[in-house]
This record gives sequence, C-alpha cells and structure tokens, in this order.
Amino acid sequence: MTEAHDTGAVTDDPGDLADATCEHCGERFPTERLRDLHRGLEHYRDLDDRERAAYETAYESETDDLRSFRLRALAVLVVLYFGFLMTYAVVTL
Amino acid sequence: MLRRLAHPLGAALGLAAVCGVAVAHGGSLRGATGESMAIPTWLFLSTGGAVVGASFLLASFVTDRQFVASVHGWRRALPAPRRLLAWTGRTLGVAVFAVLVVAGFLGPTEPLRNAAIVLVWVAWWAGLVMATYLVGNAWPALDPFRTLTRPLAWVTDGARDLDADRAAWASTAFLLALVWVEVVSPLADAPRLLAAAALGYLALAAVGVLAVGHETWFGEVDPVARLFRAYGAVAPVERTGDGLALRVPAARLTERVVHTRGGVAFVVAVLWGTTYDGLVGTPAWATVARAFVNAGVPPAILYPAALLLGFFAFHRLYWWAARTARETAPTYTDAARLAMRFAPSLLAIAAGYHLAHYLVYFLGLSPTLVGAVLSPLDPPTAMRLVLPAWVSGLGVAAVLVGHLLAIWVAHGTAFDELPGRLQAIRSQYALTAVMVFYTMSSMWIVSQPAGSPPFL
Repeated sequence: MTEAHDTGAVTDDPGDLADATCEHCGERFPTERLRDLHRGLEHYRDLDDRERAAYETAYESETDDLRSFRLRALAVLVVLYFGFLMTYAVVTL
Repeated sequence: MLRRLAHPLGAALGLAAVCGVAVAHGGSLRGATGESMAIPTWLFLSTGGAVVGASFLLASFVTDRQFVASVHGWRRALPAPRRLLAWTGRTLGVAVFAVLVVAGFLGPTEPLRNAAIVLVWVAWWAGLVMATYLVGNAWPALDPFRTLTRPLAWVTDGARDLDADRAAWASTAFLLALVWVEVVSPLADAPRLLAAAALGYLALAAVGVLAVGHETWFGEVDPVARLFRAYGAVAPVERTGDGLALRVPAARLTERVVHTRGGVAFVVAVLWGTTYDGLVGTPAWATVARAFVNAGVPPAILYPAALLLGFFAFHRLYWWAARTARETAPTYTDAARLAMRFAPSLLAIAAGYHLAHYLVYFLGLSPTLVGAVLSPLDPPTAMRLVLPAWVSGLGVAAVLVGHLLAIWVAHGTAFDELPGRLQAIRSQYALTAVMVFYTMSSMWIVSQPAGSPPFL
C-alpha cells in the first residue's frame, strides 16, 4: 500500500510495460485501471482513502469508455437491422 | 435508481423483441422446408447468426454488476422429500432396467413394438435428457447402473483417488465412443442387441466400480452420469444440501461447473456429439461419404475418423476463443481458467440443439411409449402422433434460444470473473464469433431434410 495511483490509467489497452500488481492478493493486471477496479471490488474494506479515490476514478473513466462502446454497439445494431431489412426486401422482391 | 434500472430493462425488452422475431422466422421457415424455403438458405443462416451477434451487443448494454449477479444468484427453496424421491427413483430405475432386459430378449423383434427400444431411445435418450435440461437432473436417483453396482461398493475397499483431469478425459473418450456406437450400430433397430448392450454397460460399470470405487466411477468417469450432470446444470431445478431449489434457467452455468481441462473437452464432446448425430443424417454428408467410400475409404473408418476430426476441430476452435479472449480483454488470467469458466455456456447450446433434434421424435412416438409402458411384452402396433407443422419450427427456435442463453451466461460469467466491465465485454468477442459460426452450422443441419446415414 505504499503507492497509490489516484490518477489511474485511462484505458484498458496495455501500453508499453504497463503492468500492475494488487498489493492485497498479488494478482497481476495488464493495466493500472484494471488493478484499481479489482481492488475496489475485492478488497474495498482494506483500502485507504487514496486507493478508494483511485477506484472511483477508474470506475468513472471506465463508465466513459462504456458510453462510447454503447454508441458504437448501437450503430452496429442499426446497421444490422437496416442491412437485413434491405436484404429481405431485395431477396423476396 | 430509475436510470440504473432502465439499462437492464431496455436490454431485456430488446432481447425479447429479437427473440420474438427469430422465433417467428424460425417457425415460418421451418414450416416451409420440404417444399421450398421462402428465402434462400444463406439469408436464413445469416439471420440466425445475426440474431446471436445482436444479442451479444444487447447483452453488452447490461453492465450493472449487481443486477447481473442478482439474476444468477436468485434462488427459491422447493420443499421436497429427498429420501423418498431417491428411493422411488431407484426402484423405478431398476424396474425399468429389468423390463428393458426382459422385453429386449423376449419381446417382438419389430423395433417400434419392442419396449426395450422404445424405453431406451424414446423415453431415456430423448425424453429423460429433455427433462434433465428443462426441469432437473433425476438420473443419479434413477440410474440403474448406480443402484445395481452399489452392493459392490461394500465388497471393494472404497474409493480410489483419481486425477480429476484424467478421469474427465477418460469420460470424454467414453462419450465419443458412445456417440459412435449410437450412430453406426443397429442398436436402434435390434432389441436383442440393445438388451445385451445394456447388460454389457452394467458389466462395464461393475468393473469400473471395482477398479476405482463407486463414488469415483459415477462421480468422475461414467460418461452417462457426467452427461446428465452437464445437462442438469442448464435446468432450473437444482439439488441443494437440504432439498431442491428453483433458479433462473441456465444460471448455474455461470458458476464453476467445469474444473479441469478434461472437463472442457467433455463439454465440447457433448456439443460435438449432438452436432455429429445430426450432421450424418444430412444429404450433404451422404454426398461426402459416397465420394470418400468411392475413393476407397471403408465406412468403418470414415465414421469414427469424422467423429474424431470434428471433435478435434471444435476443441481447437474453443481453445482459440479462450486464448483470444485473454488478449482482447486484456487479462493475465490463464487461458485454461477462462476456458473452464466459459465452457458451461456451451451446454445451453447443446441442450437447445438436443431439443431441436429430438422434440418431434419424442412427441411423435409418445403414443408408442405409452403402449410399451402399459404392456411391455406385447405392446400394441406402433402409432405415431401426427404433429402440426409448426412443431418442427420449434427446432430452429430451440437452437436460437440455446444460443441466446449461452450468450447471456457467458456475459454473466465474464462479469463474475473479470474486474473491468468493458474488459468483460471485450473478452466475449472471440467466443461470440465462435457461437455465431456454431449457430449457423447447427441451423443449417436442422434445416436440412433428415435422412438415415449411408453405408450403415
């Protein structure tokens, strides 16, 4: 618990040498953000204030990424739906 | 609070809408097969694949950990007299086994008039397996092999510890051998042979019990017990320490049902076994088989070779998905651990495919089953129920529902296993691709006119 990453990594993409270990259980994670999320989920009672803040930051940053993922997923769904609609219209013409 | 509820609710409604459309398509298309399909096969198949892909995207909108965990953790205790049920099951199982052997050796040789054939294929292999994944696993109580070999457990000095992984691999090999025997042998038409095979299996179980102990044989090695356990994990009724519990169907698949690499192989073998069973009945297989036999490959080699090659391909494909999941997530979790966690989701697919394959068969022959049960030694002439055309459409629907359950189970498992929500979604890419491929191939098999495999 010597180092607290209150800034947190911004994405889940493992950059160069990005590697983080949970001090509570020794599990390794590809990014600091995932490590911070893991600490918040599994060891929340044992965390100090800085680690809890890091968890919240990581959670919020992940929520932002999820929002952009959902937009893209929605776009794919729309394309799929209309793609099939058109295909059915053409095929059963 | 409302916003938090809005996501899962929206996703559930969306999923239901997609399912509704899929079922409607399935019903109308399947009903149309035989004469001509209303749409070309490629469009029919890609629609099925797209439904699975789209349901993955819709499931990815549900990112509330608590909600996902509460759906899978929901339980309601069912009061049940377990001891009474167990004893009833044992008595029934042994009685049916006795009828099977007696009717098999002494009954009429005409297949569908013989109680042994009807009891094994219609009641057990179609009916009981369906009941196992639709309701719950009663096989441990019914299993006559387990009951009849129990006295041997008193003779031998008890259980031997077997390496769980090797036991599961042995079970996998046994299961593939059983699938092969089921497909190539005339067991479905020859009552004498079937009764002999049942006695042979009892002898095998006795040898197994003497070798490794009763608990270990039926808990680890016996492929039939393992198969029923696997299908039972899909069912809503679960056996608990002090009775029975009701759960959301397939919710148990998100737990650690598979513990070893051999266990993963077994699940893949269950999936491939049901596929192979359907595949060898298609006209396309008949064409391929004729080409091979004309080229000089004996059918006695062609069938087991295809069985093993297909299993190998499915197994490799699944492990590829598990390894890829490790990179796309990204996570340092072992590929083996991911493979074991996600393998149970395949059981929902296998169950859907089994239902597609056997529902019409079971319902159609159910009057024959009643006749055979009422008068085992001299059953009335076999009767077939004439089913409305839409019943066969349920087959395509069952394949799709199985896949949708599998997508949801894999989603829940990923959320349980990985700390990041986006990471959990990303870990599903390869598995979803494999499932899309799998839906399309099994829908193709289901949409083909079923025939009997050539050269057997």
